[in-house]
Amino acid sequence: MRLKTDLVIMGSGMAGISAADAALARGKKVMVFEKKPYQGGAVSNCPIAYLSIRNDKDFQNAAFHLLYEYSNYNANPSVIRQYVNNSWRTKEYIERLGIKMIPTQKLELEDIGNPKYADGFPPAIMAHGDFYLVPGRGKGHGGALICLNAMKDIIKRGGQYMLNTPITDILVDENGKVNGVKAVNNETKEEIEVECEAVIIASGGIMEDREMMKKYTGFTFTDYNCSGDGNVLFNCYPNSGQTGDGQKLAWKLGGAQTAIAVSGHNLVPGPGIVASSPWIVYNETRTIQEQPYLWVNKNGERFIDESISNNHMAISTGISNQPNGESYIVFDEDTRRHLEEDGVDYMYFIFPVEKLTDIPGQFKTLINEKGNKHVFMTDTIEELCTQSGIDQAGLEETLDRYNGYCDNGEDEEFGKDAKYLRPVRKGPFYAMRVFCAGYDTIGGIKVNGKMQVIREDGKAIPGLYAAGDNMMSEFYGNPPTGGSAGAYFAMPFGFAAGDSACDYLEKNA
Amino acid sequence: MKVEIKEYCVRCGICVGLYPQLFAHNFDKDCIEVKYDELPADLEETAKNAARDCAVTAIYLKK
Repeated sequence: MRLKTDLVIMGSGMAGISAADAALARGKKVMVFEKKPYQGGAVSNCPIAYLSIRNDKDFQNAAFHLLYEYSNYNANPSVIRQYVNNSWRTKEYIERLGIKMIPTQKLELEDIGNPKYADGFPPAIMAHGDFYLVPGRGKGHGGALICLNAMKDIIKRGGQYMLNTPITDILVDENGKVNGVKAVNNETKEEIEVECEAVIIASGGIMEDREMMKKYTGFTFTDYNCSGDGNVLFNCYPNSGQTGDGQKLAWKLGGAQTAIAVSGHNLVPGPGIVASSPWIVYNETRTIQEQPYLWVNKNGERFIDESISNNHMAISTGISNQPNGESYIVFDEDTRRHLEEDGVDYMYFIFPVEKLTDIPGQFKTLINEKGNKHVFMTDTIEELCTQSGIDQAGLEETLDRYNGYCDNGEDEEFGKDAKYLRPVRKGPFYAMRVFCAGYDTIGGIKVNGKMQVIREDGKAIPGLYAAGDNMMSEFYGNPPTGGSAGAYFAMPFGFAAGDSACDYLEKNA
Repeated sequence: MKVEIKEYCVRCGICVGLYPQLFAHNFDKDCIEVKYDELPADLEETAKNAARDCAVTAIYLKK
């Protein structure tokens, strides 16, 4: 089958739909290719906390300078500028799709960069715009609803969706200009060739290509119970279909490679904790993983100021830097009582629980009935170390020192807020083995400020653009593991890529 | 009563997580499967709840 259009978009997640929206607004013919038989990207599994920078030069400039500094001036500033200038469009678009955004935090100009407005969930530096929640339908996620409504809207406006049809190649003419794509329908096996002048790669990360993950991020995938050796990574979204297809095609055409990092959070793996989506919890242990108590590595050593244990970027980066990429949150009977009677110190807004109930009962169920190998409850520290594999001498040395800090009200190592200094002395002792779990990866494709895919020499591949997680390394500089990806980055870059592709099409018309 | 899952289901697994007695995630075929062709009477209420909880209104009940 041979088809013709102006613009082909590879992927129907947040970056893809916003690119399509921008191009349709300028009267272009658009085809969205999605390799899965249904619409949406990894974000379909995500309850969305949305950030939007106001359409105001002062706010945009403040956010720009903050983000550029955050990258150690290693990011492409033109890429950051695209993000801050297009961020406001996300709110307008989502609301145009008939989806309500609930404002949760409005920042004034002087608040930008103040970590207290980041509220732990995103990296602290992400206090650079107004926050919204996008509630999903039923028990579902806002991201899924956005992608579904966007597909309906794009088709209604004349765009085409090619579901279950992966793009297998991007074609260029003798001058290296994009002039088409090849695709194949997974069901009918029919080969499709599309003539087009521009392609936007919006196909997300590499999370499900294990060889790429090992090669580019250093993480080794494991089974559901994280029983493998080496640095393991628990995959939050086992069906997101993100196998680096766009990165591979860009690189094949000579596009430059960038660093790829994991966008992660902290998670106890194994049965009984979460369902196939990390947003369905079976008990309250997910809330325990947020708490600012004692966190150690397998050598029994502290590795972070636990005050920021609810900052998922911070904790997952810390965890992934530890031996075997594992960590343990450890607390004792007195803290168990504190969690149940006084209440939690950090509430995770997705699972709002003020006071935990029957922690021993929940732990016993996980250990005895669910067979979870990452949850421990013992009478002595010695037993805890035997069962968990934490080095006993190391942990005892840490406890001596840490309990002293608790007694004195001062953390001499990491300066943890004294109100979170809770000693670990009195059995039973509780621990959970926590890994860095991946939402997605960020990076791989190098782009310029027009979102054009560029070669090592900095020259653009004419007609080829990228948006979303696959080019986020240009936003972060060298992205840290745990760097936040997210819908609120993907959509502005989708708009920007759509606009730039339209400029290119109109210039060549 | 039958349970039908529309093609635009996003396979998020919420129905599987909440109602494993009725749904299963088939990762090989990349789909959510209903465990019954004909729904037992005692699971009809469960199916209604699943339809209510679905992220994208992909679960339909047909008499």
